[in-house]
Amino acid sequence: MSLNWEEEIAKCSMCGKCHSVCPVYLETGEESMVTRGRISLAIALRDHQITMTEALKDSVFSCKKCLRCCKICPTGVNFEVIIQHLLYSVAEEMGIPLLPKLVFRWVLPRRWLFNLMLKCASIGQRIMPAKKRGPMRHLPMMLLGDRWVPALSKGSALKQFGGVHKVANPKMRVAFFTGCLINYVYTDIAEAVIDVLNRLDIEVVVPKKQLCCSLPALSLGDRKAATTIMFKNQDAMKEEKVDAIVAACGSCTKSLKHDYMHVLEDSWQEMSDKVYDISEFIEKFTEYKTEPSEEKLTYHDPCHLFWALDIHDQPRDQLKRSGNYVELEGASNCCGGGGVFTLLHYDLTVKIMNKKIDDIEKSGADIVASNCPGCVMQISDGIAGRDLNVKAMHTIQVLRKSLIDGSKRQLKEEVEMAS
Amino acid sequence: MKLFKKKVKIQYKVENVAKAIDRLKSDVGDSRVYNNIEERICYAFDATKQSSLPDVIVKPETTEHVAAAVKIANEFEIPIYARGAGTGLTGGCVPLKGGMVIDIMKMNKIIEISPHDLTAIVEPCVITKHLQNEVAKHHLFYPPDPSSADSSTIGGNVAECAGGITGVKYGVTRNYILSLEVVLADGTIMKCGRRTLKSVTGYDLTRLFVGSEGTLGIFTKIGVRLIPMPKKVLSVQAQFTNVDDALATGDDVINNNILPRTLEMMDEISIKSVRDYGGLNIPEEVKAILIIDVDGQETAVLEELDTIEELCRKNNAVHLIRANTTEEREKVWSVRRAISPALYKIAPLKINEDICVPRSKIKDILDKVKKSLEGTSIFMAAFGHIGDGNIHLNYMHHENEVELVHKLVTEIFKEVVALGGTISGEHGIGTTKQEFMRTELTAEELTVMRSLKNLFDPKGILNPGKMFPVDDDEEWYNMNTDNKKNGLV
Repeated sequence: MSLNWEEEIAKCSMCGKCHSVCPVYLETGEESMVTRGRISLAIALRDHQITMTEALKDSVFSCKKCLRCCKICPTGVNFEVIIQHLLYSVAEEMGIPLLPKLVFRWVLPRRWLFNLMLKCASIGQRIMPAKKRGPMRHLPMMLLGDRWVPALSKGSALKQFGGVHKVANPKMRVAFFTGCLINYVYTDIAEAVIDVLNRLDIEVVVPKKQLCCSLPALSLGDRKAATTIMFKNQDAMKEEKVDAIVAACGSCTKSLKHDYMHVLEDSWQEMSDKVYDISEFIEKFTEYKTEPSEEKLTYHDPCHLFWALDIHDQPRDQLKRSGNYVELEGASNCCGGGGVFTLLHYDLTVKIMNKKIDDIEKSGADIVASNCPGCVMQISDGIAGRDLNVKAMHTIQVLRKSLIDGSKRQLKEEVEMAS
Repeated sequence: MKLFKKKVKIQYKVENVAKAIDRLKSDVGDSRVYNNIEERICYAFDATKQSSLPDVIVKPETTEHVAAAVKIANEFEIPIYARGAGTGLTGGCVPLKGGMVIDIMKMNKIIEISPHDLTAIVEPCVITKHLQNEVAKHHLFYPPDPSSADSSTIGGNVAECAGGITGVKYGVTRNYILSLEVVLADGTIMKCGRRTLKSVTGYDLTRLFVGSEGTLGIFTKIGVRLIPMPKKVLSVQAQFTNVDDALATGDDVINNNILPRTLEMMDEISIKSVRDYGGLNIPEEVKAILIIDVDGQETAVLEELDTIEELCRKNNAVHLIRANTTEEREKVWSVRRAISPALYKIAPLKINEDICVPRSKIKDILDKVKKSLEGTSIFMAAFGHIGDGNIHLNYMHHENEVELVHKLVTEIFKEVVALGGTISGEHGIGTTKQEFMRTELTAEELTVMRSLKNLFDPKGILNPGKMFPVDDDEEWYNMNTDNKKNGLV
């Protein structure tokens, strides 16, 4: 599966169906900010009608890479391939800004340096007089403009949970790919993943050598950095003889399944087949019992799971068994989050987010779950901004609370018998 | 003597564009005027893949902005093209002669919905589906439903008089447009029509604008008519071993006093393409599929559906799939939606003609089409709205077969007109069918149309090069320049 972007461009019939789903176009109505417009620019660039300019760069970077357009395209254009080509072209011709380039090439491939950088940021976050908004902070990453960032965790997930988590009679052995947000911010999600899998008799390895999934580097077109990171991750995963690789982040899952294939090609195929989203894995390979709570639960679909990997029923099934589930109106609408886009277009991010928060408010749910820490972060931000009494969580955290495993149930029965 | 006829290439004063841009920036606003190459490329095309670079793009937010832009274009004699979502299938918004594209997408608000009056007033670039969803909250229904409803705009629908699958029962866009606010070629703002269902005061100007393809004026507000939302919609898919049985069933349904909401048919080639490339499992013996929707009160709909199923069986339907829930309806319709992606796997180019014939002549035209294709390599899938005689002929072809397809289409258009039909049921003429205008229209009709065009747009700046045959345009242009020389205008 290589990047044959010209073949994909040739498929486009210019019908404009992509207008109907593109979250950015629905806000702006600008043809240069939608798949069809970007394809027409890609054609012009290919035919040397135009050269790489700031305006073209804006058009390319305004794409959220949510992949909705790929899913609904009547002629089956795989825009992911085209936008990646455009991102590479932008990087090649205009260069990558110095700071991200340094991070991608020096920090991301070196876990100790990444840890150090985030440690400094974390200390800074605590000693600086930051503006607070629920779990979100406005500082110290002043570089990120208006973006609110979450409080960093004191110890990374890899530090706390790196290594093997054995069980008595393991049914399977899986590797847990944490991803950066879970590693540095939402370590409790990592804890939940390991705990739930262990309780379902699954041995979990958290490979200490794993790195960022490389999606941020790809999003700025840094092919070199992305390739380096991917190779290192490949080694880290191959070392552990596992039956499956589980991730709890929609974007990491999609990256491991799609983007690695684009770069590493056939050498990754065997691994790609083993990659699962956490909910997908649990539904496919395990059986479990729950005790539903009274809480009203709802679910928000992360773009990369819903549109790229077709995963939507599995997390819902888990939530339905964990509490009083209500469907969220427009559950598959984008929450506005998503790496590079939110940094460059924070105004649009907020507009898209506000619609999502409106829907959440309307649902009346106590907990809005999602299978992506990025969405959890974005939604937490939105909720904090409005002071709503709703909690954003990962589905696995909800399941962890309602799950009754063998030992626990026994314990309960014993208590009943004793009384 | 045709030989000595003066051939003048139609030219607009593009040298005035620079001056016009300055004026636009001061009158409409700096941030609403674009002339960088990237924007020009993005507004050069529509869904026909034709492309022609405009010189400047204006993105108005109010009627006044549109009027100011048109005034400037009129003063400098620069062509203007109104553009909505750019999803047209006939090149209606392609800036063929350069000039100014007015991208109205920012005018996308629903101004009011009046459940009591059964009307709504909207800005032109409300997405059709969005309007349908919003009025549905008041239990109201805006029926015109082109397949592009989720991306096309009401303004575009009005300009092309879009149709759709519900045409047989509910008609087309023109049946739902009550009033318009239009910016005329000199920049004046005119309102026509009323918010009442009935109004016979003077000529029906509103109706003249519907389907005018941007050649008479630019819409800035549109008053639409709404009807109560049918309570229940049910569908049935019937599979037949031949087209004749399917057509007979369609006739029987109507003859049994039932007016279905949709009556869609897919021919053998469409089914084959879906079976081979669309990943859907349809039995080998099936050569025609009917999809029938009925709507109304629940008991009535159930009764109608029973009758329809009975009629299907009488006409030898081999399989019947009934849909009661929304999910089941999705499933029944998925076969129809699978056609378009499947066809593109057969050949990269598609000519989609939307001929419409009287209902009694559907069989005749399908036979003629089939005959015309004998011995050619062209893959043609016919499907469409047999309830109203509007059949979509999809000629799938490769680069080297373009001429052949053109020849086939030319022949079929003659047959269609001979049967009392029309060359375009719902897509419009634009650039793709202007050469066939004389096949259908009489000289008298065309002359009256030209006079109307002259009246509304004496300088010929509104969407030039569209709808009228190219030679007719040239003739008008020559006459106009002669008149100018002789001081007649």
